[in-house]
Amino acid sequence: MMHNRKRTHSSADPSLAESKKSARKKVLLRTAQTILALLVVLAMAFPLYWMFITSLKTDLEMYEVVPTIWPASGLHWENYLTALTRVPLLKYTLNTVVMTFWQLFLQLTTGILAAYGFARGRFKFRNTLFVLVLGALMIPQQVTFVPIYVMIANLDWIDTMAGLVFPGAVSAYMIFMLRQNFMSVDQSYLDAGRVDGLGIIGTLRHVLVPMCRSSIVTVALVTIMDGWNNYFWPKIISKTDATRVLSVGLVYLKSSWGENEYVAHYNVVMAAVLLSLIPIVVLFFTNQKYMLSGYSKAAMK
Amino acid sequence: MTRKKHRRESTLEFLCTVPALILIVVLTYYPIADLVRISLTDWNLIKPTYSYVGLKNWQWLVTTIKQNHVLDSFIITLKYTIGHMLIILVFGLLLALLFNRMSKGFAFMRSVVFMPHYIAMSTAALIFSVILNERFGIANAVAEAVAGVRIPWLSSGSVALLVMIMIASWRAVGYDMIIFLSGMQGISKDYYEAAMLDGASKPKILLKITLPLLAPTTLFLAVTQFIASMKVYALADVLTGGGPYRETEVIVYMIYELAFRDFRIDRAAVVSICFFVFLLIVTKLTMGVSDRKVNYDA
Repeated sequence: MMHNRKRTHSSADPSLAESKKSARKKVLLRTAQTILALLVVLAMAFPLYWMFITSLKTDLEMYEVVPTIWPASGLHWENYLTALTRVPLLKYTLNTVVMTFWQLFLQLTTGILAAYGFARGRFKFRNTLFVLVLGALMIPQQVTFVPIYVMIANLDWIDTMAGLVFPGAVSAYMIFMLRQNFMSVDQSYLDAGRVDGLGIIGTLRHVLVPMCRSSIVTVALVTIMDGWNNYFWPKIISKTDATRVLSVGLVYLKSSWGENEYVAHYNVVMAAVLLSLIPIVVLFFTNQKYMLSGYSKAAMK
Repeated sequence: MTRKKHRRESTLEFLCTVPALILIVVLTYYPIADLVRISLTDWNLIKPTYSYVGLKNWQWLVTTIKQNHVLDSFIITLKYTIGHMLIILVFGLLLALLFNRMSKGFAFMRSVVFMPHYIAMSTAALIFSVILNERFGIANAVAEAVAGVRIPWLSSGSVALLVMIMIASWRAVGYDMIIFLSGMQGISKDYYEAAMLDGASKPKILLKITLPLLAPTTLFLAVTQFIASMKVYALADVLTGGGPYRETEVIVYMIYELAFRDFRIDRAAVVSICFFVFLLIVTKLTMGVSDRKVNYDA
C-alpha cells in the first residue's frame, strides 16, 4: 500500500480528468478496505463480547432460547463475586504466577548460559552437542508425557509445584533464539569485558545480557504466555486446589456444577474467564512492540 | 592467551551449556528411550508391579488395528490439522493484505485480530461452548433465524471437528497475519519499482512478486504450525470429550485416555512412539522441501 501512495505522488498525470477519476477510485477502494477491515475486527472480537455480556446475565436470561445481545435484566456484577468464591480463583492465579515465574527463571538461566556457550564457546563437540538442542525442538511434550509422568511420580512430585514446574525447566526454543542473537554481538565487546577483569558470568551479566535486552524480553514474554496458557501438563499433574492453575481451574469451575451442560453456570464461568484474561491483556498492551516484533523475528530466522 | 588459559576458558564455556544439556537429556531424550522400555512391559498404573512382555503391545497395535482406534485418531488429527492449516494460511494471507495500511486505526485493528492468540485454547473452548450450546447458544439462534435449522454443533462428529478447526483458527489467524505482514515488509522495494516501471498491474504484482517471495514465510508457518496443531488436546478435552462416538478423539487425547483413564501406560507408550515417528518423518520431509524449493532471495 505504501508503494501505491508513492506512485500517485510521483507520476504526474497529464490528463486532469483521468487523475480525478483514479483519485476517486482510490478513495472508494480505501473506504471499502476500511469497511471490510472493520467487519473482520467485529467478527474476531464477537466471542470476546459474548463472553463479557454472558458474564453479566442472570441464569434465567442465559438459558433463554433466543439470547439477548445485551443483558435485559440489568448488569449482574455479582457473578464475578460468585466466580471468586465458588473456587479459589485468586489461589489459582497465584499458582499460575508461581509456576510461570519459576519456569521463566529456570529457562532464562539455563538458556542464557547455554546460548552463550553454543554461540561463543570453542570447546570440542560444540556443534554435535548443539544438535541435541535442535533435536529437542522437534520433540513436543505431548510425545513424552507418559514417561515424564512416571518420572514425576517416582520423585513423589505429583500434585506439587515442583512437578508442575520441572518439565518446563529448559526451553530448546529459547536456547536456539538467544544463540542466534548472541552470535551477532561483536566479540570485541566480550573481550573488553574479560580484559576489565570480569569472569564469564560477569561478562554475561554486564555486557551480553544488556546488549541483547530486547530479544531476551521477547523470548521471556513468549515463555510467560506459554506458561500462563499451558493446559496439558497442569491437567495431568494437578489434582487439588493447592496446584491448580488458571487454565485447568476454569475448566474445573465449569464442571463443579456436574457434567450436565444445562446446569453449568456459564455466566459465572465467563466472569472467571474474563478475570483470568486481565493480566494477559495488561501484559499485551504494555509490551505490544516486543511481542509482535518477537513473533515476526522468529519467523525471519 | 597461553595455551593453558585457553583450555581453561573453553572448559568454562562448555560448563555453561551443561545445565541446559542435562535438563534436555532428562526431559526429552531419556523419556524417548523410556517410552521404548515401557512399550515392552505390561505396565498398568494401578498395579504395583509390572513385567517385560516383549512385543505384546506392538502385537496389540497391529492385530487390532481395525478396532483399537489408533489409525482413526491419526486420521482425525490429520484432518483437523490440514483443515486448520489451510484456513489460517489462506485467511492469514488475505488478512495481511487487508490490514496492510500504516495508520493508528489499522494498528489497533490488527492488535484486536491478534488478541485471541493470547487466550489459552482451553479457555477459548469454554467461551465457544457458550456460543455453540445447542439449546441456548447464539449460534443456533442465528442459524434458526437465517436458515430455519438448528445445527448439532458438538453432537455430530463431522460438525464437531469443523467447530474445533474454526476455534483453533480464530486463535491462530491473527498470528499468521502478523507473520505474513512482516514477511511482506521484508520484500525489497526494488522488485515493486521494477515491476511498476514495466507497467505491471496490481494483481499481477501480487501474483508474480509478493506471493512467490512470501514462500519462505509460508513454509516457516506451515512447518511450525503443523507440529503445533498435531498436538491438539485441550479442544477435544474441554469441548467434545473426544465424542460423539470417538469421532473427535485426536492422537494426544487418545494417549492421555489410554494412560490415565485405562491406566494402560504400556499401550499409551506404543501410541506415543507412533506419534513421535510420524512427527519425525513429517519434519524430515518438510525440511527436504525447504532446502530445495524455497526462494530465499527475499
